[in-house]
Amino acid sequence: MIDPEELRTRARDLLEGGQVRAVIGYRRGTRGWAAEPVVITRSEEAQDLVWDPSCVHNLALYLVQDRRRRGVLRGPPDRPIGILAKGCDARAIVVLMQENYVQRDEVYIIGLSCESSGMLDERKLAGAAEGIDPQDLEAVDFEGDAFVLSSRHQQWRLPAAGVMAERCLECRNPCPKVHDTLLGKEPREQERRGQALTPAMSDPFAELQRFEQTADSVEARWDFWSRQFDRCIRCFACRSVCPMCYCEECMVDSISFVVTPDTTAQEKANRLRWIERSASRSDNIGYHLTRALHLAGRCIDCGECERVCPVRIPLRLLNTKMERESRERFGYEPGASVEVAALLSSFRDDDPNDFIR
Amino acid sequence: MEGNSYLPQLARVVDIHEEVPGERAIKTFRLEFIDGDGFSHKCGQCAMLSIFGRGESMISIASSPLVHGYKQFSIMRAGRVTSAFHELAVGALVGIRGPFGNSFPVNDWHGKHLVFIGGGCGLAPIWPVIQTAVTKREDFGDITVFYGGRSPRDIMYRSELEKLRGAAEVYLSVDSPEDGWEEFCGFVPANLMEKEPSPEDAIAITCGPPAMIKFVIKNLHALGFQDEQIYTTVENKMKCGIGKCGRCNLGKDYVCTKGPVYSWADLKELPQEY
Amino acid sequence: MERILDKGRLGALVAALADWTVLAPALQDGLWAYRPVAGGEASLTLGHPNTVQPPKGQSFPQREVFFTFDETPDGQPRLTPLVPRPAPRVVFGVRPCDGQGLTHLDQVFGEEAPDAYYQARRGTLAYVGLACNSPPSRHCFCTCVGGSPFGEAGLDVLMIDLSDRYLVRALTPVGEALMTAGQGVLTEAGAQDRAEAQQRRLAALAHPQRAVAAPQAVPERLKAGFGSALWERLAQPCIGCGICTFLCPTCHCFDINDEVASQSPVCGSRVRTWDSCQFPDFTMHTSGHNPRPDLGARLRQRVSHKFQYYFENHGVFQCTGCGRCITACPVGIDIVTVVNQVAAEAAAMQPADS
Repeated sequence: MIDPEELRTRARDLLEGGQVRAVIGYRRGTRGWAAEPVVITRSEEAQDLVWDPSCVHNLALYLVQDRRRRGVLRGPPDRPIGILAKGCDARAIVVLMQENYVQRDEVYIIGLSCESSGMLDERKLAGAAEGIDPQDLEAVDFEGDAFVLSSRHQQWRLPAAGVMAERCLECRNPCPKVHDTLLGKEPREQERRGQALTPAMSDPFAELQRFEQTADSVEARWDFWSRQFDRCIRCFACRSVCPMCYCEECMVDSISFVVTPDTTAQEKANRLRWIERSASRSDNIGYHLTRALHLAGRCIDCGECERVCPVRIPLRLLNTKMERESRERFGYEPGASVEVAALLSSFRDDDPNDFIR
Repeated sequence: MEGNSYLPQLARVVDIHEEVPGERAIKTFRLEFIDGDGFSHKCGQCAMLSIFGRGESMISIASSPLVHGYKQFSIMRAGRVTSAFHELAVGALVGIRGPFGNSFPVNDWHGKHLVFIGGGCGLAPIWPVIQTAVTKREDFGDITVFYGGRSPRDIMYRSELEKLRGAAEVYLSVDSPEDGWEEFCGFVPANLMEKEPSPEDAIAITCGPPAMIKFVIKNLHALGFQDEQIYTTVENKMKCGIGKCGRCNLGKDYVCTKGPVYSWADLKELPQEY
Repeated sequence: MERILDKGRLGALVAALADWTVLAPALQDGLWAYRPVAGGEASLTLGHPNTVQPPKGQSFPQREVFFTFDETPDGQPRLTPLVPRPAPRVVFGVRPCDGQGLTHLDQVFGEEAPDAYYQARRGTLAYVGLACNSPPSRHCFCTCVGGSPFGEAGLDVLMIDLSDRYLVRALTPVGEALMTAGQGVLTEAGAQDRAEAQQRRLAALAHPQRAVAAPQAVPERLKAGFGSALWERLAQPCIGCGICTFLCPTCHCFDINDEVASQSPVCGSRVRTWDSCQFPDFTMHTSGHNPRPDLGARLRQRVSHKFQYYFENHGVFQCTGCGRCITACPVGIDIVTVVNQVAAEAAAMQPADS
């Protein structure tokens, strides 16, 4: 397991040495035991950085925010920005690089291996074990294949697999493949699978399969998804939290298109509002399915959309479905390599369809 | 539904006048309520105009409250709703609700000299005050109107401005002159400095692009005007007009109810979120 | 009027309220939400922590059709207003913070220009509150923003949990009517019941909560801190979603759009939907100019509206301390910390003698 002190030292050195202009990481939040994302620019802030099972957020999102801010400032970055990256975060960064949204030399990746563990799912924790009230918890920590939960007066050691986020149980690469420096170890394949810890870990689409077995007809799936989407309140948290949703213009939201002094009245008047703001079933479905399709071959399954959803729509099911399609049909794994062309911007000579060739 | 603030009345477009051509075209629409007299308004107030299927837009009422039977709006083609207005023909029915907002304290200005400083389509919100002052000419001291546009073609209310002469001093300006332009060449704030209106017993009323207003206020200060003597109007994005939808506020004030008219003395105390 | 309701007879009480549609918190798909309940449900309990969404949608639904429009045969627009005429409804299990929130909505949608749609819905609604013997969330902070775990504002009836029974207290004529309708299920409350309720109240008030420091000084300090660099720093992790505002019991901002069903002839509806000050297009002018262009300005608007602007207009905070925005924030932005940090910085910068 990574010693957080090692992480702080690495960040401090990078900032002191001027190798990076900032480090995107996690610090202790004021909301209970959960860590929160932070961007530090001074070396003395490195002592605030933490690494524990509450570091759920995909920090690649803040690379996107950083680029947006630089767009406003119109300044090219003089130095790279440092970023802590779990396996999933690193896959997201790779997609951003594949799509030329960020350049490799603009980013200094401090890889963090989750090794044989993963992140805590706050919702699973509720009712996970007798006597633990998540409300009382002050801290969570890694300890081998367990999480250690601490309240002010007490400690519990829980098998991690029982309260780990589903996407971590199904994780493709707990250790970042692309990095400038790596903390923690690459778990050996057999180690990861061999541990009784996570039977699911051998199958990246376990939850999807469970769903498909339960809802095994078109009607059953329609009923299921109608009920899920009816709950949507269109807070757009799933879109806001997604590092892949970096479009300046979003088709579900035509009023937030980019307006420059050169945008004509005609252009503004003719923007189509494809999907209404109303949280109605048809508009909600339009929104979520459009988003899922736009993430096909791009979503790296950080699971953030599902985690942040205040009304618990199981969005991972949509996204992993698209991911499995891209894997099975094209042998493509999103976020695996910067060198590989992105799925939707490439084609093969032996593609079965004529139109693409 | 009695007292439903969101339900527009219908009004007929009875006249359309093209003020300014081009990409940022301005047209003046004369609207008559189809059901009775509609509502009365005060100088500086606004109304929410609708084209059904396109939406609503908050527009200042450009006609004087002293005029009955119709209301006039000068609308620049800018977005979804205003572009639809520019496509309308005489006879079309549109929606209108209002009036919204506070008004210029015209009655407090009796006996004072009035200096109007407008730019672009910013002449429209202060036009009712100019009309009222000219109609009740004996109630006021000197009336001076500064107004400018980018080019001679961008001068709105051209013939009405000419008709003001005699009752008021009118100083026009353009940023980029063309052949035959005999008045001031340059920006409105510069024209103001050249003509040097006296702050003595005077009120300055300004409306126009934000950058212009900023320099006008600076120059008014240089001429000796106090914050209390300077009035302007604020525009922000609005949806409801009745202080509920939550987006047009400057601090605690919703511009749609507490504005759009502010003295600079008041406005400078509020968050500058406009 | 005070009565006693045996916990096991809650379903019977609901059944007795035949003239009302009854809604109560229910756990479905992992979420506590207000759902219609049928009378006689023996399993009906009020064991919820708090609902994920406040009850504000009952009077201020996320989508409200103002009117429909179409064209007459000669091509002129024609409007048909849609007045909601809901049957009488009673919402059970409303926590006092959410009751307090209703008073703010009543204020906003009443005021000088009453909102016809809100009023129509509100007019047939009754709220039965449930006092909080202990804070339902670790992020509760009602007591420092003018609320109380036993608060009665905005409610028609307050129920107090006395382990095996509830003390039921009518607070308004509507509440009296509800209790009269349910009198066959209710029994007389005695001195012992009242004493026990009072004990619970004192215990609840003594329960530690998070707190906004020196609340009476907060509006002035936020005003002084308007230009603080803290806003941008505190908003740094913000992802710009609408969770905090959509789950808030007092946030009332909305958008109005025309939803077009057909272009020729033109027909459709003018619709109000919830909107959020956290969305970038909320304040963006047609020109593209945005008076609140970044996350810092938008966080400042959300927090200042609740703790400064609304206070300046109405003398109370527009935050009820329910803690939902803290609990549900994807990145842990914590309104208590934000207020406290900005206020503390402003206080530190003020001269000591003022």
